[in-house]
Amino acid sequence: MLELLVGVCLLGAFVTFALPDEYASEAALGISLVPLAVSLYMYAVFDGVGNALLGGDPSFETQYAWLTLGRYDVTWHMGLDGISMPLVVLATLLTTLAILASWTPIDERQSQFYGLMLFMEASLVGVFGALDFLVWFVFWEAVLVPMYFLIGVWGGARRKYAAIKFFVYTNIASIVMFIGFFGLVFGLGDSIASLDLPAIAQALRAGELGGLGLLSASQVATLAFVAMFLGFAVKVPVVPFHTWLPDAHVEAPTPASVMLAGVLLKMGTYALLRYNFTMLPGIAQSLAVPIALLGVISIVYGALLALAQSDLKRIVAYSSVSSMGYVTLGLVAYTMYGTGGATFQMVAHGLISGLLFACVGVVYNTTHTRMVGDMSGLADRMPVTVGAFVAGGFAYMGLPLMAGFAGEFFVFVGTFGADFAGAPVFTSVGMFGIVIVAGYLLWSMQATLFGPFESATDYEVSPAAVHDVVPLLVLVVFIVALGTLPYDLAFDAILDATEPVLPTAGEVAATFGGGSP
Amino acid sequence: MAEITAFAPAIAVLPFVSFLVALFAGKYLPKKGALAGILAMGGSLVLSLLMLYTVATGHAHQSTLYTWVGGEAVPYELTFGILLDQLSTLMLVIVSLISFLVHVFSLGYMNDEDEGGLPRYYAELGLFSASMLGFVFADNLLMAFMFFELVGLCSYLLIGFWFREAGPPSAAKKAFLVTRFGDYFFLVGVVAVFATFGTAAFGGPGVEESFPHLAELALDGEASVNTFGFAPRTWFTIVGLLVLGGVMGKSAQFPFHTWLPDAMEGPTPVSALIHAATMVAAGVYLVARMYGFYALSPTALAVIAFVGGFTALFAATMGVVKREIKQVLAYSTISQYGYIMLALGGGGYVAGVFHLTTHAVFKALLFLGAGSVIIAMHHNENMWDMGGLKEEMPVTYYAFLSGSLALAGIVPFSGFWSKDEVLFETLIHGLGDSPLLLGAYAMGLLAVFFTGFYTFRMVLLTFHGEPRSDTARDPHGVRWKVKGPLAVLGALAAVAGVINLAPVAELTGAHIDFLHSWLFHGPEGLNGEHYEELLEGVAGYHAAYPLGETLTMLASAAVSLGLALAGAGLAVALYRGPEPVEHTDKLGALKTVLFNNYYQDEYQVWLAEGLTARVARAADTVDVSIVDGVVNFVSSLSLFTGDRLRRVQTGIVSNYAALLTLGLTLLLVAFGVMQGWFL
Repeated sequence: MLELLVGVCLLGAFVTFALPDEYASEAALGISLVPLAVSLYMYAVFDGVGNALLGGDPSFETQYAWLTLGRYDVTWHMGLDGISMPLVVLATLLTTLAILASWTPIDERQSQFYGLMLFMEASLVGVFGALDFLVWFVFWEAVLVPMYFLIGVWGGARRKYAAIKFFVYTNIASIVMFIGFFGLVFGLGDSIASLDLPAIAQALRAGELGGLGLLSASQVATLAFVAMFLGFAVKVPVVPFHTWLPDAHVEAPTPASVMLAGVLLKMGTYALLRYNFTMLPGIAQSLAVPIALLGVISIVYGALLALAQSDLKRIVAYSSVSSMGYVTLGLVAYTMYGTGGATFQMVAHGLISGLLFACVGVVYNTTHTRMVGDMSGLADRMPVTVGAFVAGGFAYMGLPLMAGFAGEFFVFVGTFGADFAGAPVFTSVGMFGIVIVAGYLLWSMQATLFGPFESATDYEVSPAAVHDVVPLLVLVVFIVALGTLPYDLAFDAILDATEPVLPTAGEVAATFGGGSP
Repeated sequence: MAEITAFAPAIAVLPFVSFLVALFAGKYLPKKGALAGILAMGGSLVLSLLMLYTVATGHAHQSTLYTWVGGEAVPYELTFGILLDQLSTLMLVIVSLISFLVHVFSLGYMNDEDEGGLPRYYAELGLFSASMLGFVFADNLLMAFMFFELVGLCSYLLIGFWFREAGPPSAAKKAFLVTRFGDYFFLVGVVAVFATFGTAAFGGPGVEESFPHLAELALDGEASVNTFGFAPRTWFTIVGLLVLGGVMGKSAQFPFHTWLPDAMEGPTPVSALIHAATMVAAGVYLVARMYGFYALSPTALAVIAFVGGFTALFAATMGVVKREIKQVLAYSTISQYGYIMLALGGGGYVAGVFHLTTHAVFKALLFLGAGSVIIAMHHNENMWDMGGLKEEMPVTYYAFLSGSLALAGIVPFSGFWSKDEVLFETLIHGLGDSPLLLGAYAMGLLAVFFTGFYTFRMVLLTFHGEPRSDTARDPHGVRWKVKGPLAVLGALAAVAGVINLAPVAELTGAHIDFLHSWLFHGPEGLNGEHYEELLEGVAGYHAAYPLGETLTMLASAAVSLGLALAGAGLAVALYRGPEPVEHTDKLGALKTVLFNNYYQDEYQVWLAEGLTARVARAADTVDVSIVDGVVNFVSSLSLFTGDRLRRVQTGIVSNYAALLTLGLTLLLVAFGVMQGWFL
């Protein structure tokens, strides 16, 4: 089933590439509806149990021998558990909506643009579905290529710089992560015979990591943890590795921003959860304080940076840095609500940041400016878009009964009582993010959407086309649904998959967590 | 009989349906959604009364409606449920009654004045009522918080209703932001309650574990909860004060009061709703709702009382110099909620709820009365342009007068009885060895004088004397939709005191302190009697009657009535006559300070724009120059720099992709070779 999903996207990408420009947009939308429908069907029949890496029984699992690298078997191993299933739906949903949101702004080299979008969708599904390291890594790297081109070809004035910065930064991060991971593989020695992620995770949690050269096992574990953390932190991004993000967002065409903020950033936190926090819980717990500190800094510092901006896209971009800090904070808590809430927040933030970027895109398509000071009173001219913008703004601020509140509240309630030192203080300081985010979003909404209508650009401002507002309204519906029924729609499955991540005392000791409080 | 409670959720669902109807079908409906709203609120009112009756027959009720998060895995469930007891059903009746009247009044204020955007107006009004009603019957703190926030959202939307002007969106932003600052503390408090007790239930029939009860047990050493290294009493005080942040924000208590006067930018019927029964009432209602928790902490109670007493006085002094009728009313709201806080902190649970009730009636009346005046004055709100309206609009005048007498606390109008009880309760508990409470009492008492003064200054300037402008000479007429609600509320404001004539009961021995017995018969753990035990046993509150019980009560009533009359009398003496002059000008520099609200707005704007924005800009500078600078510096040492970068950039972009992918492949191969994969 997963192979079908990836295959349809890939095939669709090639078909779209080959089509002439005038058919590309409709064709891409039509094609993207297939993986969306398939993923929704998979969601409906999903029956995964437990955590895919920790002895659970994932749904849609397939495993075929693929190739052998020396002592290591590489298998085509795919499957979804409660963590990856919602993320796959998120990826397919946002791809379809981003394609629709591209209809207005993308007017050149359309078949290539839409082809790349579908190619990226295939890679994203692969990243969340893969259960073998090499398969996962191929998809992980494959995501970068279309995003690189989307920014570099269809981007704004400084697109080259932004695209290269994005590509180089994340690729160097990949190398660091790769080295770290192979440190673990080699450290495990004969206890594993493949690059199968479940096997590796279970071997590590069983304490089978050995030393490597001059390094003791605990040193290998620590170094590998740090290397992987750094690698993934760039993707999330965690402050201070975030500076590629605003550049990429500002230059990227809006649909690419929707994908970047909505799905690509989640690859980082997803990988943090799958690798660092699942495989080395002991190290993670002994490093809990510095990691929580980075999370809180991301939240507060990211929000302050957003406050200082006057470009709507930069504001939303820095907001993402802030919101992803909640995920980091939740992961480090190692409580049911913390780890589950962090996963839930990935989905929630994907929808909400996607909505807000899409709104900014519609505003930009119409006014051709994104600067807060250049316009006011848009509510008068484009009421539906503004309504969605306000809904997205309040979702970002964590309004109850919208998805963001659920995610944030789970994280807060899970982290406040967590075991690491100073957990209530970190949580309380991080929670102050909800005040700052309200400050800059209310300020920018007041300045641009309300008051007497004015525009510094000479374009006529009229209500957006139906295909522009449909993605916004669909996202609002999803956000409210997920915020009202979080447990029934996703959190139940998420908790089922994150529960095994919480380590037993033996697993903490086996993965070198000692001396933690 | 108990099954009637199955319909309780409809109390909030009906206005929610009217929200949907007005939003999606409002523009096709004859009154643009107003009728749906009126119908829904009428239904809610009837159901609320039924619930009140059900509770009165001894069927207090609690049930869980929906499990937001549940299951085996989580350490505690998060749920939505309803709690119908003496307090919540009383409040449900108040909220649905006021909201119903506001809907009717809006027909006259909005529809007849041909305002645009009516479907949006009625949709937001419906959502506002639904959120408040959901908040009122919430059976746990998390649900209360969620609806509390939705109330805040609706206030934002309604204050900013006229979004095409510059003022309303700004006021809406301020209201949300200031209350959000308070709600931050509230949310930390909610999280702390879960982390401490593992439940946020308020209690009620059939609830085995509620956080106030667990806290009580923990203080006695009979239950163990996680108090994060603090002594239980200290930790409960901290948690109580955190939740209090949200209360002070919504109920506009010092220093979070600054949003409320600005909120006058919204349509006047909305102001009535915000001030009397929803947004601002939500804060103090929460204190009453979890009184069993606050009663465990003398420190938290003292803070509540002191903030309340100070706010009562502080806001009343500002009301003295305002020019616009709604501004006077705004400061009176802040001041009156100060009294309610004073009562709750001073150990007067019944007095606080009593004043919440009477205030809801007379403040809704005064705002709707002001709305009627504003229609008549063609939306001019300046009292110095009014005068003489008494002759032109007698219904409005007499209703407004009734509300003013209640606000000023003149016997026998409703406000007298409740305010008197507030002061009396604080006084006797203060005399029982709590100098801090006596201080709070003194401020509250002094505020009575100012209240009498500003209230009657407002009445005289608006309705008496000669008309001072052309519009005042020829005011716009108002219709039954406006007069009807005024008449109902005018009558209620006059007589609502009968629900708790405590001094008369004391004198005659007749059991006519109905509210007292009502609240004392609540479910176990949620009734006045239990709170009194806690206040005495845990918080160490004692009542003292230096003149004996009866005489102390009479003396207290006499003093507060005397001050109210003195204030009102001074206003009448100064502003009587056909052409009053602004006597407060004689205050000189003091007037400037008062008129500028003690410069509270200035320092808060400085905190937001001067300080925070500056810090943000500094962070931005650091980010661009140092954090990103390091990144660019490192990359400038690498391959992709300077001339090479420029040269490569001119080439095909895919070079980079190829180059880096090649790099990774090489790395993989290198590992493979090292490990002998390919052998």
